[in-house]
Amino acid sequence: MIEPVEIVVVGAGPGGLSAALAAAHAGAQVTLIDSNRQPGGQYFRQPANELHGEPSRHQREGQALWQQVQSAGVRFWAETTVWGATTEKILSLNGKDVPGTIQAQAIVLATGTFERTSAFPGWTLPGVMTAGAAQTLLKEQRILPGKKILLVGTGPLQLVLAAELVRAGAQVVAVLEGAPIFRNGARHLSALWRQWERIAEGANSWLTLASHRIPYRMGWGIVSASGNQQVERATIARLDDTWRPVAGSEEQIACDTILLGYGFIPFHALAQWLGAIMTWQPELGGDIPVRDSNMQTSVPGIYAVGDGAGVGGAALALVEGEIAGIAAAAQTGHQTGRAAQRIRSLAPALAREQQFQKMYAALFTPGAGLYALGNNETILCRCEEITLAQVRRAIALGATTIKEIKSITRVGMGDCQGRMCSHLIANVIARETGQSVNQVGMLRPRPPLFPTPITAIARTPSEQMEVAHP
Amino acid sequence: MNASRKMNAPVVIIGGGIVGCAAAYYLSKSGVQVTLLERSVLGDEASGRNGGGVRQQCRDRRERGLAMASVRLWQELQATLEPDIEYRQGGNIRLATDEKRLSDLRCQSEEELQDGLPVEMWDQSELRRRAPYLAEIFLGAKYCASDGMANPLLVSRALGWAAQRSGARILTHTEAFQIEIQGRQVTSVLAKDAQGEFVIETPQVIHAGGPWTPHLSQTLGVVVPIVPARSSLAITQRMPRLFDEFVSSHDLGVYARQAREGQIHIGRSVSEPGETFDQTTPLPTIEKLARGAAQMIPALRGSNFLRTWTGTLENTPDGIAIISAVDGIAGYLIAAGFSGHGFCLGPIAGKLLSEWLVEGEPSMSLREFRLARFQK
Ligand SMILES: Cc1cc2nc3c(=O)[nH]c(=O)nc-3n(C[C@H](O)[C@H](O)[C@H](O)COP(=O)(O)OP(=O)(O)OC[C@H]3O[C@@H](n4cnc5c(N)ncnc54)[C@H](O)[C@@H]3O)c2cc1C
Ligand SMILES: Cc1cc2nc3c(=O)[nH]c(=O)nc-3n(C[C@H](O)[C@H](O)[C@H](O)COP(=O)(O)OP(=O)(O)OC[C@H]3O[C@@H](n4cnc5c(N)ncnc54)[C@H](O)[C@@H]3O)c2cc1C
Repeated sequence: MIEPVEIVVVGAGPGGLSAALAAAHAGAQVTLIDSNRQPGGQYFRQPANELHGEPSRHQREGQALWQQVQSAGVRFWAETTVWGATTEKILSLNGKDVPGTIQAQAIVLATGTFERTSAFPGWTLPGVMTAGAAQTLLKEQRILPGKKILLVGTGPLQLVLAAELVRAGAQVVAVLEGAPIFRNGARHLSALWRQWERIAEGANSWLTLASHRIPYRMGWGIVSASGNQQVERATIARLDDTWRPVAGSEEQIACDTILLGYGFIPFHALAQWLGAIMTWQPELGGDIPVRDSNMQTSVPGIYAVGDGAGVGGAALALVEGEIAGIAAAAQTGHQTGRAAQRIRSLAPALAREQQFQKMYAALFTPGAGLYALGNNETILCRCEEITLAQVRRAIALGATTIKEIKSITRVGMGDCQGRMCSHLIANVIARETGQSVNQVGMLRPRPPLFPTPITAIARTPSEQMEVAHP
Repeated sequence: MNASRKMNAPVVIIGGGIVGCAAAYYLSKSGVQVTLLERSVLGDEASGRNGGGVRQQCRDRRERGLAMASVRLWQELQATLEPDIEYRQGGNIRLATDEKRLSDLRCQSEEELQDGLPVEMWDQSELRRRAPYLAEIFLGAKYCASDGMANPLLVSRALGWAAQRSGARILTHTEAFQIEIQGRQVTSVLAKDAQGEFVIETPQVIHAGGPWTPHLSQTLGVVVPIVPARSSLAITQRMPRLFDEFVSSHDLGVYARQAREGQIHIGRSVSEPGETFDQTTPLPTIEKLARGAAQMIPALRGSNFLRTWTGTLENTPDGIAIISAVDGIAGYLIAAGFSGHGFCLGPIAGKLLSEWLVEGEPSMSLREFRLARFQK
């Protein structure tokens, strides 16, 4: 049985919370879904329980927004994953005490991103992890990812995380910023400074790092990691404009943990399944849905907001969410007269955030050199343990597209459905075959979005399988 | 049209599924410099998405001989192709939950034994002994030890690339949109790729376009009765080795096999209604796959689906393929409409097509597969 609902918002990060609030304020019946136990997404990530100390400013902001969302009457389905979607606006769910299938009049997708990684020699050693994973450990569990930490990547979020780690008692050995900001950033410098300050939570992050004499090196990146069983040291180097290591500039740094913060890739699978036309925008993270000024995709009634529709940060996600919430509610018949005017009134805020997004993209989009670090033994696909040599062999046999290489090597066919490695493989194939990443193509995810229990899909508990009729 | 781009080929194969790739493989081995046109990449359609079953038992009697001959080719291909196509003969179990189905299977087994296909009937206790991983709802089964499976993702590509190494010209991302004749003889194929349209002059076409065959044959005025249908599969996360056979139950509507890497593939053994080229996977179908699989193999009740996908079947009115010349048109062979059995039959179809062109006639009779059978 398919349960009808009015508006569904998928993802309870800043974008989704803000969309749910705006739609509910307009009078719509809103159902908000997130696979996490707590609302908040990445930015407002809440501590797992109260024992874990004082909440941060983000967490307090998140709680305030969440309280508004609750009092506006939004229904929240926590620990519920949307694993399938079809063009009839039908969503398949896996969660406790929720229907298995719902059909919505309008859907707002606020599904966020996953993190971009880089396949350098040693990147699969224990001790290497993404910045987001470290942040989750810290925010939810108050656990430090290691003792001597090296941050490599790009963008101001690295500074925030470094400061958080230092305050929590970790030793940060260095923060490497891949972008040559002083070379490329000059024309953005004033705007950058203002925004940087905002993002980096005032000058606090700077001060924290400065007072601990933590080196912050612009135009530097990782080349390899090594160690016996576990990361013990990193080789780092100066990068040229394409992010390729400059020969002869290498240095060694001792550390037990390396955090990768190379930016984000929009999580757009649901938009694709719902029928939205996609566009390839590498500077906004990759494939994203085409949208109009109401945040509506090419499919009427399907909206997409936040980082999942083009990486732009929490503030942009909040504005986009509000616009989509108003528009979706108008579409299902609420405050139709006022919607256009209210959306117009958000235009200045939207423009400001979009400008920031542009500048951010211009500065912090990794160059092709990031994908040229691996050697033959480097693993590209962790789930299936496929090395660069295996991919090269498939190319030698005749494969030229990601589809073919996938079928020959099993790259990207593991449990993560290519979320971790699709961009790595596409970039490597592009380089090895002299094509553009767009020509090589990305892996198209297939339902279920995440590995999903058969009993949940069949909506038949295990003990009833014996009697249930086919 | 840009007439400046022109090629020649003694044989043009249209379609890079398993049938087209096998034809290219055997023709190239015989020294014929074929050109193969594939609108996407090799094996991107049913040939790369199917259940992977290489089965001789429970076939239409008219097809049985071809299936048995194909299995001999599969053994050779496993030994020669690169990459490894993961063909192995783990056996095939066809299950029955009621007496009616069991007695149908028994009748069929007698016919199969007569035709020289070794099969066994298992009663309930034999089934429990031989396949303890199956649920206890089954009354018995028919078993064929020489049946097996291969990895569909690899086979067409391995065949096509081997053909390429023996001199075949494989043009992917290239679509044939017209076949031209003069008098009663094929003269050329018109095709387009990313650079635009071009002409391939040729006296001989093999048309192996799967369910899309009727569209193009229409340009010759030839009506080919093939209709598309969708069929979906699901795959679990890796599991410890549970079974080697390809098992299916028409009563539950599912079949299953465990791939070399441990994932279990689950497909629908009954076809979905409706003529469609749609390749999205319907959510109710995913549900049926999950339920059927868990009912058939209890160990799957604790497993996760990792992925699902859908391919397009190519059904003819009588459920067997068309491997045929066309009356009144010289130089045009059709090999399509394998009606859901073409993975198993692909190698033999390719081999016979090659013999037809190289030696003047195939070594096995293809009478039952003539297009003219529909024109009565
Ligand atoms: C390490 C790190 C530090 C950051 N620091 C800052 C900072 O200081 N300042 C700043 O502005 N930004 C920061 N960001 C970025 C910020 O977190 C994002 O820009 C913001 O969270 C985007 O909001 P969103 O609503 O688009 O997505 P998210 O906050 O990512 O929320 C998406 C939600 O959707 C859920 N979801 C996705 N798919 C499904 C599904 N199929 N079913 C159910 N639920 C689903 C996810 O579980 C998640 O909760 C940081 C990010 C990271 C990783
Ligand atoms: C889900 C599913 C499960 C199956 N399970 C089994 C099984 O277990 N065992 C078994 O034996 N069989 C199975 N089958 C059937 C089997 O896959 C097919 O019968 C077989 O693959 C047909 O091969 P083909 O080469 O004729 O067609 P296809 O694989 O359909 O290939 C035709 C190719 O021609 C190309 N093409 C068409 N027109 C043109 C043109 N004008 N120009 C250029 N290119 C063109 C297409 O792009 C396509 O790649 C299954 C099928 C499906 C869908």
